Amino acid sequence: MTKFQRIKSFFAALIIFLLGIDLIGFPNGSSSRVLSLLALALTFSGLNTLAYFFNMARFMVNGRLILFKGLVLLDLGLFSVSILSVPNIYILLYLATIHAFAGLVEILRAMESRRVGAGSWKLKFFHGLVDMIIALSCIVFFKKENTIGIVYGFGLIYSAICRMISCFRKTTLTYIQ
Amino acid sequence: MQEDFHYYATYCAAFLAGYSHEESLDIAYSAQFVDLCSRSFLSKIHGPSDAATTQLSLELMDARTDILGLQDITRIWASFHFLPKDLYAEKKGRTRRYMYKYRLICGPNGSLVKDTVTLAKDKPVQSVGIAMHVLADTWAHSNFAGTPSLVINNTDYDFTEILGTGENKSERAIKFRHSTSVPDDLENGIFTNSITQTNENSIMNLGHGRAGHLPDYCFMRYKYVPAWGDYTVITKDNPSDYRKAFCQMIYAMKFIRGESEKFELETYDYDAIENCSSRIQEILEKRQLIASDDWKIFGEELSGESIADFELEKYTKEYIDASKDSKKDTFLGKFIDGAIAQKSMVTNRIYKSKNVLAGFSKEIFRIGDAEIG
Repeated sequence: MTKFQRIKSFFAALIIFLLGIDLIGFPNGSSSRVLSLLALALTFSGLNTLAYFFNMARFMVNGRLILFKGLVLLDLGLFSVSILSVPNIYILLYLATIHAFAGLVEILRAMESRRVGAGSWKLKFFHGLVDMIIALSCIVFFKKENTIGIVYGFGLIYSAICRMISCFRKTTLTYIQ
Repeated sequence: MQEDFHYYATYCAAFLAGYSHEESLDIAYSAQFVDLCSRSFLSKIHGPSDAATTQLSLELMDARTDILGLQDITRIWASFHFLPKDLYAEKKGRTRRYMYKYRLICGPNGSLVKDTVTLAKDKPVQSVGIAMHVLADTWAHSNFAGTPSLVINNTDYDFTEILGTGENKSERAIKFRHSTSVPDDLENGIFTNSITQTNENSIMNLGHGRAGHLPDYCFMRYKYVPAWGDYTVITKDNPSDYRKAFCQMIYAMKFIRGESEKFELETYDYDAIENCSSRIQEILEKRQLIASDDWKIFGEELSGESIADFELEKYTKEYIDASKDSKKDTFLGKFIDGAIAQKSMVTNRIYKSKNVLAGFSKEIFRIGDAEIG
């Protein structure tokens, strides 16, 4: 990673981290804030997909599908901005699915590590378990509006920390002749 | 390629190149071990994680696909399983980002094959095994890249199998399914492949997943359209490619043993298999999921010795029990040194071609015991 990429990635992580803190600290009215974030993410993703099409996918066999995907995502993002209220249950189900899948992968990885005798399986198993608990919390506390803010906030903080760590990781491989 | 070629066929090639039975076994073991030396395994034996030569399927699912994650994946898969054919390839009108990926497409007889074989010269047999794995995979894995990429590794959905040869030649459409728990149905032409993922860097877009195990079957002849080829149909003739791989391995190992002074690309030692050519062709043409038994019988006939089945744990105790200073002298210690050397060399070549996908690399020249940065 170049110095510029490190700096860019670090500041992006810092913004995500602060958003996470904001959602946990002030969970009232989090539905609309989470929705705004989703709308922003969809719009950004749509634009990103269109940029990917013009940079790379247009050289690919059947690459036009990427163009259609980008247009649909952008459309959905812009549409989400116009929606004022969405029932909490949909947002929570989305979060529950994401965490349940991540948890399942972590637990399967832990089992595989355990089978081959690697020592890191307990930590992986713990991560998977926490993800599963978060997924379950989304469903159990679906009536409380604050749940969305807290769960989404923790997700953002976790993602930001991972990103910050990767900014300081060693990237050079030494070649000995 | 699978255990049949990387272990048993490599044993046969090493023996035909002039190695003893024991040396051939060690070379074959090292060649097959490249497919199993994962970070999980290295963590178990307390070995350096930089020496990983493969990633288990769940390790891959866990792998990150940010730039650092991609570089880690590329270092492993491009160095050991999808050696790039031409790091300086040109294609008109393409963006720089596209060309980073395009230049990592694997293929036989690239300059890196020469570098890989030369690197193994005057090294322990473990390095020879690693080089033979890499060389053989350039044939099986050609036209795919060892980095996650939709624009390179995706294919059109239509694949056609070519059955028979000459007047008996016929074609049939290949059907794909996504069930990894069910073995491929050779009789009815039903194979497992990966699901389309429209994310450029999705791990599902690494290597030949979209073509399933077709590149791994030595008997397979098929036609398909790769994502990068501007709608050009590619015909893949595995029996012919595997035969060339086998003869190139013999030629390369004879060079490593010092029988020839230079290693030239596009050169195959057909003379070495003159007496057993039809036998090898018979094995390569036989429709079966894995040809281990046939190669094993052939190898045992060649050397008159018994070939033990591959056993992953064969050398782990020796490595774990060795003191810190003597680990490098163990079988696995020598394999680890060879793996790191190969990975460093390929990473360095990719970096020098101004391609950022394998990460940054620094050269250190070793003169005697001193290192000059």
